Amino acid sequence: MKQWWNWRKREKELDKEIQHHLRMAATEREERGAKPLEAESGARREFGNVGLVKEVTRDVWGWRWLEDLFEDARYGLRVLSKNPAFTLAAVLAIALGVGINVGIFSVLNGIALRLLPVSRAHQILSVNQIFHHHVSRNVHNGSSMFSYAEYLDYRDHNHVFSGLLAYEPFVEATLGGGHMQPLVGALASCNYFEVLDEHPAQGRGFVDSDCAAPGQNAVVVISDDLWRGTFAGDASLLGKQIILNRTPCTVIGIAAQGFTGTEVVANAFWAPVTMQKELDAGMDRLSDSNMSWLALLGRVAPSVTIEQVHADLSVIAARIDQSHPGRITSLAIARATLVGRPDEREFLIPVASVVLAAFGLVLLIACANVSNLLLARASVRQKEIALRLSMGASRWRLVRQLLTESLLLSAAGGVLGSLLAFWSFAGVAHFVIAHLPKDFPTLALNLAPNFTVLAYALALTLLTGVAFGLVPALQSSRLDLNTALKGDGALTGSGRKSGRVLRNVFVGAQIAVCMILLLATGLLLRGLYNAQTLDPGFDVKNTASTFLNLETLGFDENRATAFVGSLRKRVADLPGVLEVAQAESAPLSNDHSGDHYLIPGRAEKVAMEYNYVSPEFFSTVGIPIVRGRGFEANDWRNGTPAILTESTARRLWPGEDPLGKVFHDRETGGLPGTERVVVGVAKDASVSKLGEMDTMYVYFPAAPTRNIRSYLLIRFQGNVRDLNKSVREIARSLDADVPVQVTKLEDGMEVWRAPARIVTGLSGALGGLALLLALIGVYGMVSYSVSRSVREIGIRMALGADGSKVMGHALRQAMRPVLIGCLIGVAGCAAVSWVLSSLLFGLDAHDPIAFVSVPVFLLMAALVASYIPARRVMRVDPVVALRYE
Amino acid sequence: MGERYRNRIELLQGTLDLLILQTLLWGPQHGFGISRSIRANSGELLQVDAGSLYPALHRLEKQKWIGADWQISENKQEVKVYRLTAAGRKRLTEERSRWQQISEAIGGVLNPAKKEGAS
Repeated sequence: MKQWWNWRKREKELDKEIQHHLRMAATEREERGAKPLEAESGARREFGNVGLVKEVTRDVWGWRWLEDLFEDARYGLRVLSKNPAFTLAAVLAIALGVGINVGIFSVLNGIALRLLPVSRAHQILSVNQIFHHHVSRNVHNGSSMFSYAEYLDYRDHNHVFSGLLAYEPFVEATLGGGHMQPLVGALASCNYFEVLDEHPAQGRGFVDSDCAAPGQNAVVVISDDLWRGTFAGDASLLGKQIILNRTPCTVIGIAAQGFTGTEVVANAFWAPVTMQKELDAGMDRLSDSNMSWLALLGRVAPSVTIEQVHADLSVIAARIDQSHPGRITSLAIARATLVGRPDEREFLIPVASVVLAAFGLVLLIACANVSNLLLARASVRQKEIALRLSMGASRWRLVRQLLTESLLLSAAGGVLGSLLAFWSFAGVAHFVIAHLPKDFPTLALNLAPNFTVLAYALALTLLTGVAFGLVPALQSSRLDLNTALKGDGALTGSGRKSGRVLRNVFVGAQIAVCMILLLATGLLLRGLYNAQTLDPGFDVKNTASTFLNLETLGFDENRATAFVGSLRKRVADLPGVLEVAQAESAPLSNDHSGDHYLIPGRAEKVAMEYNYVSPEFFSTVGIPIVRGRGFEANDWRNGTPAILTESTARRLWPGEDPLGKVFHDRETGGLPGTERVVVGVAKDASVSKLGEMDTMYVYFPAAPTRNIRSYLLIRFQGNVRDLNKSVREIARSLDADVPVQVTKLEDGMEVWRAPARIVTGLSGALGGLALLLALIGVYGMVSYSVSRSVREIGIRMALGADGSKVMGHALRQAMRPVLIGCLIGVAGCAAVSWVLSSLLFGLDAHDPIAFVSVPVFLLMAALVASYIPARRVMRVDPVVALRYE
Repeated sequence: MGERYRNRIELLQGTLDLLILQTLLWGPQHGFGISRSIRANSGELLQVDAGSLYPALHRLEKQKWIGADWQISENKQEVKVYRLTAAGRKRLTEERSRWQQISEAIGGVLNPAKKEGAS
């Protein structure tokens, strides 16, 4: 830009200098007695060709290439503005392709590339440890995290950070005291707000004395959202107590607006890390020096490099390793982003690459489309190009000229697409987030474009321009001058052979890529339909459940049993309630437990999911017992009965009667595991994963004291909302701080379908876009080749050929690349469709219905797209056609 | 295009540089002034045309042998005025001695008898 500015300035100066020269020369002549007009023309004559002098002077500047570029750009703009239809089509195709890619990239950027939303974020480094060899370690969040003792060690002995903070992310807590609401927050070290330089807008952040001793200081900082939302901006909230997981905490501060912590999930509260045991009863992570649960962030001075930090902290890591024989730790240190820990990256990178690849495919179609348009146009421009070549322009110069045109197109498309993306993607993202399941946590995503996104958009635009422009440019600058200038080579056939082959390849490629996307959408839709109509094998309509996680609320077993006992009795008495049962895991609650069991006569242990259920469970959820008996009230005392599902029984003892068979829990601590006797067989049901009926699954009888963490299952008649209200009232009258939410089991299925629905929506949108682009491509190619072969058609018609036969010929020619593309697309999709299998709810990844109907649909669409322009053949008048040009 | 000028620039290159630098030794001058000085000082014999002069000036400027300033002339016009830089002064002495050698050498070739007689 600066160079361009300079160039303009020098251009102007040169102009001034020459004007001055001319004026001086004229004045001199006038002084010698010439008339003004004569003097002027004389001066000019003496000076010579002003333009030429300027040009040779400019050559001295050494910016010839820049000048050429401007010349090319000017010429390109003129050419493009002369073909508005072509230009518009190309720009729109590129805008769509680049736009969605820039949009999806800005989402990824918001998740994983942007620095933290705090001041001077580039100074904040995330510290992670990676254990080598096998190390026995307790992991709460991610294995790369630190224990509290380790944190203190790093905090107190490093020489590189101006401050090092630690926090436990994703702490779930129930807000009590009349506001009953699940929250996600963080337990933070007491320098948290100071190191991040995000001081609360009201009140104060933590001070050292807040973290002095475990459980001492029940204080909390809440988010601006929570304050404005749940507490309606109550100005007197500071200093008051709120209830978190039954622990009263004093609100000491309200965070600055927009600050929601350093994770993708927005924090609603922050409590001192020393309050861990109080907020998560029954777990003592604070004093476990071998527990990974704290994420570390440090702020460095501006001059300190990551290498220096690494060197300094590695000394501490090595010292800690010495006191843990066999442990070797290396550190991973990087600028902190919302999603940046090694375990998160491990998950994100494959997902991101699949998504980027799918979006990239659409851009690829758009490129192939524009390439085809350019190729088609290049043969119209053959004469112009041949003329330039024969005038001595080098081929490289011509390629450069054509590429400049392509880059102009891609620049226009890229700018338009990026603007569309920036303008619309935040809206799209909000739409998607709004359609996530209700209890999905609030996300803290910033999708606004920053330098990274702009750089990506620019790179993508340039790459696109070269991608669609290079092949046509090389192709059309390789000309046989003789035939091209004479003009008949171009007009008798439908373009030269190599050009036609290339165009067919591009059309085929578009169809193939489009086919892959459409087939994926088809499969996902079929899967969703399956999931919608699927019989899970139990009654989802008349059974409701609520999760009672009393453990985190600080209940012990006795209190829990008393609470659940009264609750069950009173719920059972409600009108419309038919039966009440309890289970450790409700069907399809995505809350699995599994273990390995010893089967007599088998060397290998068998992995099975298990569920502890009350005797009423089977009748309440409507799973029939097909052999033997269900559980009885005293079964838990005997400790041994088990009920298998049909397919589990079949697989464990094929062809035998499972009743009376014995198996064991795996041994623990050298003691043999409990002996289990099969007393019954339950019908298969997809209780574990939606669409999966044959999970290895076993039911055990639950003890009546097993209440600390369970699901209440209610078989009812009538409206679930009324039921929810009544059960809540009962729960509140028993204990005001236990959150209760009664939902139909059917709603639980929705959680399973949501990811598939989102992916289907996404691939459907992409597939639709791909289809649109591919059909435009087919249409364009056919209409082009028809218009190019008007003379050929005219001759045929004049010789008495049948119009419909000629059209048939044109259609056959058009459909050949489409058909080949279809086949390649189907084969390609068949090869990769297994990646979708987890979203198909049991549907075969090679589902014949999808694999037949989608290609048929695409072929029909392509046929229509080529029929419309091919119809023009029928209207060709031989007389006019033969005089054509 | 431009072939005519280019050939002449190549022919005159070294010499024209020398003439320009020498002219600027007497003080700053604008382009027209330089061309007039050269013409006058050569007894109207050497005519420097614009197509050689301006590329040469711009090249010398780029090589930092001469500098340029914008001044306001008597009739209120902006004028680009060239001056000799320190590097240009050094260059001028080199060019002069080189020219001296060349002209002596050529003189020697043209008048071999004289030279022999002198030795």
